[in-house]
Amino acid sequence: MDADTDLPSPAAKATTNDPVPPRRPFSLSARAALATGLVLAAFLGVVGLTLSRTNADSALKDQQERLENFVTAYLAGLEVTRSGKVFLPDTPPDQSFSRPGSGLYAVVIGDNNTKLESPSALNRDFSFLKMLQPGESEFGPIDTRMGRLYYYSYGVSWDLSDHKSVPLTVMIAQTEGVVEGQNAETRRSLVFWLSSLGVMLILLQLLLLRWSLTPLRKVANEMTRVERGESEHLDNQYPQELTGLTERINAFIDNEREQRTRYRNTLADLAHSLKTPLAVIRSRLELAGESTPFRGDVLDQVRRMDELVAYQLARAATSGRQTFATTAVPVADHAEDLVQSLEKVYAAKNVLCEFDIDEGAVFYGEQGDLLELMGNLLENAFKWAQHRVLLVVKLEPQAGRQRPDLWLSVEDDGPGIDADKVEKVLQRGVRGDERVQGHGIGLSIVQDIVRAYQGELTVDRSPEFGGARFAVRLPSG
Amino acid sequence: MRILLVEDEAPLRETLAARLKRDGFAVDAAQDGEEGMYLGREVPFDLAIIDLGLPKMSGMDLVRALREAGQRYPILILTARGSWQDKVEGLKHGADDYLVKPFHVEELLARINALVRRASGWSKPILACGPIKLDTTAQTVSVEGKLVDLTCYEYKVLEYLMLHAGELVSKADLTEHIYQQDFDRDSNVLEVFIGRLRRKLDPEGTLKPIETVRGRGYRFAIPRSESDDE
Repeated sequence: MDADTDLPSPAAKATTNDPVPPRRPFSLSARAALATGLVLAAFLGVVGLTLSRTNADSALKDQQERLENFVTAYLAGLEVTRSGKVFLPDTPPDQSFSRPGSGLYAVVIGDNNTKLESPSALNRDFSFLKMLQPGESEFGPIDTRMGRLYYYSYGVSWDLSDHKSVPLTVMIAQTEGVVEGQNAETRRSLVFWLSSLGVMLILLQLLLLRWSLTPLRKVANEMTRVERGESEHLDNQYPQELTGLTERINAFIDNEREQRTRYRNTLADLAHSLKTPLAVIRSRLELAGESTPFRGDVLDQVRRMDELVAYQLARAATSGRQTFATTAVPVADHAEDLVQSLEKVYAAKNVLCEFDIDEGAVFYGEQGDLLELMGNLLENAFKWAQHRVLLVVKLEPQAGRQRPDLWLSVEDDGPGIDADKVEKVLQRGVRGDERVQGHGIGLSIVQDIVRAYQGELTVDRSPEFGGARFAVRLPSG
Repeated sequence: MRILLVEDEAPLRETLAARLKRDGFAVDAAQDGEEGMYLGREVPFDLAIIDLGLPKMSGMDLVRALREAGQRYPILILTARGSWQDKVEGLKHGADDYLVKPFHVEELLARINALVRRASGWSKPILACGPIKLDTTAQTVSVEGKLVDLTCYEYKVLEYLMLHAGELVSKADLTEHIYQQDFDRDSNVLEVFIGRLRRKLDPEGTLKPIETVRGRGYRFAIPRSESDDE
């Protein structure tokens, strides 16, 4: 019905093209383990095969020798009468020859269908046996109804006293079972030893692998530490093969930091060169009389430019969490510096600032960002407070995360901010109060920093002092 | 009040100096850190205004060097960037306050007054000695609640004496803190100012607020009021 059904619709195509994440290449350990495992298996296999072959050959040779010995023993014990009648020796060289079905047989044949058999060989078929020329011998396995036999036959010409001789062929045969039993035993022990050797070698190989990959793991760990700002560089000593990599990474990190510094310096220069002319214009106009034309307008525009420049510069200086330029900034020291500075500036106001800072509270990021964040919040609190300001910095452990969040709150005993005005206060460029000096961009900067660090800012009422409380939660990243 | 102004930007320096002079301050202006250091060490200032971005010697270094040289007068730093790093560093090195450029001149004046007042131990903007009250914010003087009309220089002389109420202020001190370097010190203008102040503050001759210490200088004789510390 529908001709299109055979063709994949674009949507269907899109879904089939959906990125099946490309299979990650085997890990280095897996590669090495796989490769050496295969090589080891092949090697041990060949070794096992060769050994078992050699062993079988020598077992065969042993067998031939043993049979030859029996033949010699029989020949030595053989009795031949003058008439050429042959008698087997009374006592066979091995008891097995007397026991029927023992698996060890002796047969002597001569002319005229003479055939003598050891008691063990009674009623067995040795028809494969043929007369051999004197001195001729035959050895080999042969398959008979009794199973596989190993036999050795030897032809002799037995001299009788009157220059006559009787041709005889002596054969000793042994069933395979005995030989094979020995062979199988050897093979089993060979397999056992070779496989234990294989397992041991693989284990050793894994250990070696771990050992030789240790520097790589160390690099990875140290990189993590650098990222978290717990360490400045890859400081450890690394094997020669890795130094090329680690030195370049270090150079990259330095470069990154240098660039940030240069960037900040450029911003500072820019601020200076933009703001000084604004300061000149403003002071000139403010000094000029009220009747100066456009005085109010120009002052108003100067104020707007100033705010714009200040805000944008602060924004540009906010770096957020850099991959490699991050450092662990201890909060307590900087908080103390800031509070001391503000107490100096607001000395006339007689504000008491208390802090409650968790020991070891650390900010992972740019020191400048932390200073701007706390500085603006604290200054805001000092501005509005009557007499009291409280700074709380806490580490809040998060389930499932290695490092705790950083919680930072500043509260004061000032008038506070009504819930319905919070949004307006947080709106960029809106000043909380025109009467209080300052740029009013402090809060916008705070919000930008909080955003850059994926944190959140909440404004509510201080439970203790009744004034405003600004709280920032920064995830540890 | 004698002020050191260190700012490299000529138009801003000149405008600020003019404005400060108009308000009765004696201003010595320097255009770089080294000049600032020279003046700052040689002249007994009441306050210094130092821009952080100075040629030859940075404002931060100048603040530190002045403090290391034992200068105790309040220092206000001007910063263009206004980053907390700058502010904290400046205040740590001995500055007392900061202003971010571009600032309002009125704001600067208010800060100057507050700093000078604080430096001489007054914590409130109104200096009160008995019935005489000097409002440093509004720059007005009242005796028993009635405003007294003073000229700018008269106000400055009185402010200086009241800031140092109870202390002996030599004529040289007074001249140096009220006038520029180039002022003719031999003139008896100061005595004229003091005489006029006495008449304006105490027409009846009952309060005797300013006492002359023969051959040494003047002293504001009415002690600071307790109410100042409430």
